Formats: sequence, C-alpha cells, structure tokens
Amino acid sequence: MALFKVISGRLYQAFLLLVVMSLIGFVGIHSVGNPVYNIVNIETATPDDIRRATELLGLDQPLWRQYLVFVQNLATGSFGTSYIYHLPAFELVLSKLSATIELAAFAILIAAAAGTGLGLLAGTRPGTLVDRMVVIVTVYALSVPSFWLSMMLVLFGAVMTGWFPSGGRGSTVDLFGWEWSFLTADGLKHLVLPVLALAIPNIALIARLARAGTVEVQRADFVRFCLAKGLSDRHILFRHTLPNISLPIVTIVGLQFGGMLAFAMVVESIFAWPGVGKLLIDSIQLLDRPVVMATLTFVAITFVALNAIVDLLYAVLDPRVRISA
Amino acid sequence: MTIMTSLRLSQRRIRGALTLPNGILALFVLAAITAPVLAPQNPYDMLQILGWEASSPPGTMSGNGYRYLLGTDGLGRDIASCILYGLRISLVVSVVSAAAAAAIGLTLGVVAAYFGRWVDAVIMRAVDLQLSLPTMLVALIAIVTLGPGVDRIILALIIVQWATYARVVRSVALSEAGKPYVDAVRTMPLSHGRIILRHLLPNSIAPAITLLPIEIGHAVALEATLSFLGLGVPMDQPSLGSTVANGFQYLLTGQYWISLFPGFALFALIAAINFAGEDIRRLWDPRSRSL
Repeated sequence: MALFKVISGRLYQAFLLLVVMSLIGFVGIHSVGNPVYNIVNIETATPDDIRRATELLGLDQPLWRQYLVFVQNLATGSFGTSYIYHLPAFELVLSKLSATIELAAFAILIAAAAGTGLGLLAGTRPGTLVDRMVVIVTVYALSVPSFWLSMMLVLFGAVMTGWFPSGGRGSTVDLFGWEWSFLTADGLKHLVLPVLALAIPNIALIARLARAGTVEVQRADFVRFCLAKGLSDRHILFRHTLPNISLPIVTIVGLQFGGMLAFAMVVESIFAWPGVGKLLIDSIQLLDRPVVMATLTFVAITFVALNAIVDLLYAVLDPRVRISA
Repeated sequence: MTIMTSLRLSQRRIRGALTLPNGILALFVLAAITAPVLAPQNPYDMLQILGWEASSPPGTMSGNGYRYLLGTDGLGRDIASCILYGLRISLVVSVVSAAAAAAIGLTLGVVAAYFGRWVDAVIMRAVDLQLSLPTMLVALIAIVTLGPGVDRIILALIIVQWATYARVVRSVALSEAGKPYVDAVRTMPLSHGRIILRHLLPNSIAPAITLLPIEIGHAVALEATLSFLGLGVPMDQPSLGSTVANGFQYLLTGQYWISLFPGFALFALIAAINFAGEDIRRLWDPRSRSL
C-alpha cells in the first residue's frame, strides 16, 4: 500500500512537471522569432504567401489557443508536423533516438566500469601517490567544459593524427527498425571520440564517489571482521565493499544517463552526430517549434522515468530502504 | 569555542587559502580587472582590428606594432586580448548570477523553513520541479525564452541555480527553526522579517557558502556552453565560450590556436575555482574531509 502511495505520488508529480514544462517551453519557443520566414522563400515570397503560410500553421491565432491546439493534438498522441522536415515531430525524434542511445549507453558503461575501478583502486590505498593522483586528476577532468574537451579530441584524435574520423556516424546497420553504428567497424571508429567526450567527466565523477565510499566502508567493522576471518583482499573488495558502495554509484549512473540525453547536444553538435540533442539545437535555431516541443517532452519524460527507476533500484539494492519506505 | 582555538582555526584558514590554485584564481581575477590595460587590443572595437591579419598563427607581428602572442581569429581579433576580455564576461556573469541565486535561494529556503505549511509547500514544489530536469535543459529553455545578451544569460543562470541553494538551506534552517533560541525570539515582539534576517538566516548560511564556489564553477561552464551553442552572449562581445566556438570551423583546417588557447584559459579558470571550492568545503564542512 505504501509503495502504491509512493508510485502514485511520483506519477502525479511527474505529470505536474510535464504540464508546467510544456507550458513554459511552449511560451518560451513561441516568444522568439517567426518560423514563417524559415519556411517560405524569403526572396520570392509575396506578403500574401507569408500571410497564407502563417494561417496554415495556425500562427495567426492567439497564443492560448495555439496551446490548446497543442494539448488537443497531444491527447491524440501527436506533436504536430515538423515545419522543416514535413514529418510527424515525434517520429522524427524517435528516428534520431538510436544514435543518442548508443552514444550515451557506451559512454555510461565505460564511465561506470572505469570510474568504479579507479575509485576502488584509490579508495583502498588512501593517502598514497595513486590515491592523490586520482583525487587531483578527477578535479581537472570535472573542470573541462564538455565542448572544449570534444574539440580537443577532434584536434588530437582526428585532425593531427588522423586516427579517428572527426564527425558523423559512419556506416550503420539496420536492427529492429533502427540504425546502429556499433555493429560495423567503421561505425565503431566513429563512436570512439564522441563516447570519450561524454565518458571522461563521468569517469571522474564516478571515481570520486566510489573512492569516498570505499574509504568509508574500508574502515567499517564488517571489513575488519572479514579480514579476521581470513578472507582474501580481492574477495572482500568485490563481495563486500563493492555492494556497499554501489548505491550512490547507481544513483549517479541513472542521473547522468538522463543528463547525457540532454547534454549530448553539445557533443553531438561538435561531432555532427545525428542524435536527439543535435536535433534539438538545430530545431531551436530553425524555430521548428513542433520538434522542439516533442524533443523537450521526450527528454523530460526520460529523465523523470530514470529518476523513478533509480529510486526503485534503491529498494532492490538496499534492504534498509525497503523497510523505511 | 575559546578564543585560542578560534584563533588557531582562523590561522589555519588563512594558511589553507595560500595554495597554487588560489594564486592562479587571483591572477585570473586580476587579469580580468586590468584587461583594458593588459590587452594590446580591444576586441570589441572594430577600428582596432586589422581584417587582413585574420587567422595569423601565434607569434605573428601585427601591423599595429605588437605581437599576436596567441595568434588571431577569423576576424583578425587578437586571441590573447579576446581571452582577457572574455575572462571579464565569464567572471562577471558567473559571480553575479551565483551570488544572486544564492541570495534568492537562501531567502526562500529560510522563509520556507520558518513559515512551513503552504509557504513551504509552494516553494519546495517549485524547487522539486526545477531540480527534476537536467540543468542544461532548464538553462536552454530559459535562454531561448529570454533571448541573447549578457543580462539575459545572468538571469537564465539565476533561474537554473536558485533551487539548489533553497533546498540545501531549507534543510538546515528547518533544524535551526526548531531550536529553543528561535522559540525565544518568537516570544519577543519582533517582526517575522527581523527574526528571519537577524536570527535564522545567519545560522543557516553555512551550506550556501560551501555551495557557492561549486556553483560559480558550474556557472562559468554553463555560460560558456550556452555561448558556444550560439545562445549566450552576442558575437560582438566575445566571451571565452563564444571565442572557442568561433574557432571550431577553423579547427578542422588545422588553425588550432583560435579554440585551443581560450578553451585552455576557460579550463584553467574552472579548475582553479573548483580547487578553491574544495578548500572552502574542507574548511567549513569537516565531514567532507575524506572526499
């Protein structure tokens, strides 16, 4: 019963969030520019053409009526049609999804593995050279602005050495109706730099968390008990320490994965990676309002859903949470 | 706390503050303040820019009689001068927005904790809404709505940042508000405003102070990112982010200096702020010392 209450409360809050966000986003994107000028040919269009295009898009209506139309369309599952691509906006977002997902998934997997590894390495040897190196290097890694990191990866990984391509997805393979790059050698090569750009700050973040957790857990009585019992260091580390530090790591992995869907737009713009983030940036610049709304809603829903999943995982990973909830 | 221990503590604080990153940070601030004197060129003044010296590599002599130490960009602007002037914008935007966000968040957090009930509910729901979306997304919506410009970007960053302060401060203020001294002042004929400002707020301020440097670092990065995406400060007022962005198209043809150096300055600035923030946190919050 308590669980039901928690879930319904969360759903209600998520719903409220989406309503408020759609309202703010709607007013926001409708307060800038006039998309008609991006649609008609500005040199040949007569005032009559412009007027007709405006009426066709419903832009002559007052804002509140446009919002009502938007909500009405939403109730039938439609975000409207893209002004630029003349495709249903939500389908357009979905078609770009596989590119962003494979980027974010690879980045977060690498970050989780490398970050946890570094954190355990440093945390079991507090105060040593390795530990201090990890602590200092991670601050630097967290300070690099992601767009500059991406550009430096382009400069050193592509322009100067020619090891990796500087942008694009390379050749893709169709699987389950989506295009995937990681299934071809060429696609994998294209993935390396953008994945690194997304992963590096997250490796640092996870390493710091894992290190702090390890330092704390290593001092705990149960670790000393395990030592007294004669268990090997490796056994203690992976069977006892790791599960105990996993909670904050799972949280940050979930949150960062959601954040990546939003933050990937910088990395995607630089590497010309045709994902959701690049679509959002391009649509904002082209004033393609239906696509902007569809993308914003999609990212928000994903983020909220991931938050909820993380909360549920808590209960699975930590029995204490189950009892107190 | 005796006078001696507090003296020793403040001594430790002063000594702790004399680190390399803090020195670098001080240099950055100094460079930003003295930019008009230090910079050989004013990159905002088109008359001082020689268009035919565009994209000169580092070390080229200028026709104006000085050396382009770090080269010029695609318009002929001296990169070193762009960095110095860009620093001003980055620092002003981040410090002003973080300070304003801290003031707003602090006040709302304390007010929520003091009044409780519906005031608390309204403020905290707004905080929840704000924090349940990725920062970048909130910043993006805000800046698109507000439009470009330095004042707009400050406003957008305030909108992004206030909620974090409000949440952290409220949790501390809640426990403070339950203490006997607050009950005691509540029995006196003092206005709510006075109790909040003179008694509750000073005792709830610590977490906001440890948060401030971290948020300033975030603000520098966010401003640069928004400017990089072409949504931040306008092109004729180059910030560090937009200077880096300008260089992107030249990067692929090997003219690395346009984005390399300003980006490195940005990176060093954020790193220095983050290290300073770590120091402050260590001194103010003993629990995080193991981090």
